[in-house]
Amino acid sequence: MINRLEATRYLVEQLSDEPIIASCGNPKFDLFTAAESRKANFYMWNSMGMASSIGLGLAMARPDKKVIVLDGDGAILMNLNSLTTAASKAPANLVHIIWDNAQYQITGGQPTHTAGKADIEAIARGAGFKKALTVNTFAAFKEALSQILSQPGPWILVAKTDSSKALGRPPKSPVYIKNQFMEALRGA
Amino acid sequence: MSKRPGAYKGEKLEWPHKIVSLLKANDICSISFIPDSVIGRILKVAEKDPYFHFTTLAREEEGIGIITGEYFADRYGVLMMQSAGLGNCVNALASLAIPYQIPFLILISQRGELGEFNACHVAMGKALRSILEALGVQHYTVNREDELETILNGAIKTAYTSEQPVAVILSTALVGWKDEK
Repeated sequence: MINRLEATRYLVEQLSDEPIIASCGNPKFDLFTAAESRKANFYMWNSMGMASSIGLGLAMARPDKKVIVLDGDGAILMNLNSLTTAASKAPANLVHIIWDNAQYQITGGQPTHTAGKADIEAIARGAGFKKALTVNTFAAFKEALSQILSQPGPWILVAKTDSSKALGRPPKSPVYIKNQFMEALRGA
Repeated sequence: MSKRPGAYKGEKLEWPHKIVSLLKANDICSISFIPDSVIGRILKVAEKDPYFHFTTLAREEEGIGIITGEYFADRYGVLMMQSAGLGNCVNALASLAIPYQIPFLILISQRGELGEFNACHVAMGKALRSILEALGVQHYTVNREDELETILNGAIKTAYTSEQPVAVILSTALVGWKDEK
């Protein structure tokens, strides 16, 4: 199992000013802990499931930048149709990482369908993604990331994570978050 | 031009051309949509102009996210859908577009009002404006072609001034309805 915070820290170390869209719940909490001062982070406080769609829109409008989406299994299960849209548009700069701990961790650890039969990598391939990987260890995550950041996508990376608590709390003003993020994008 | 409701097939329509040229005049280059027969007529005109980027959605809610992502990169978008689609968009509007202040045009093809043949479109059609109002989303209805320019230009300007989505509803009084009984 991968520790989500450790993997988030490693990811950010590999990046420069690429935009990151962090889904509501633990992906954004750990992104804030890993890279509090990073301006090109977009923190979602709700709209569960929309991270993949925001990332697609940004990737299409900014083909010069790799766009990273940090999603959760519960969130992507709520917007699976977005995978069909992203695969059809297929922007080469889209990197969609799904932290899959097979549970709704933030609400008490109730199992999601990935705890049972659902396989997000297989769903993504069925949606039309040609490049989709699943990793279970930190070493495999690092290896996958080196491939993903050096080769055109769009990419899906399902990282099987543990359920360590995420303690970070990003700013709570949506407009502050948006303005900081857009300034970072305009400067980049 | 005026036309007889229910008999739009084969008639020369001006409103789809007007809508497309008004979008372009307002720098809206990205069209995210779920088609219906009305949206389809707008797309048919827009598709001839390489200025526009098109994203076919699988569910209307995705469009809120996609337009938000495009807006982050200073690309302006319109979400085109039938009134039924608003029901699929509510939480993304309430918890993404409204609090993060994402301005864009929502262009809605009205069902469930004048000339409806399908009972299953009526409840959502009747609820459309109440839902928008409950969310605080401003909305304007176009009934006649001569209102189109004022309403579209005005709605788009207000969206950008307020940094909020604004809806424009295309009535069947403008676009016609199916002859089906």
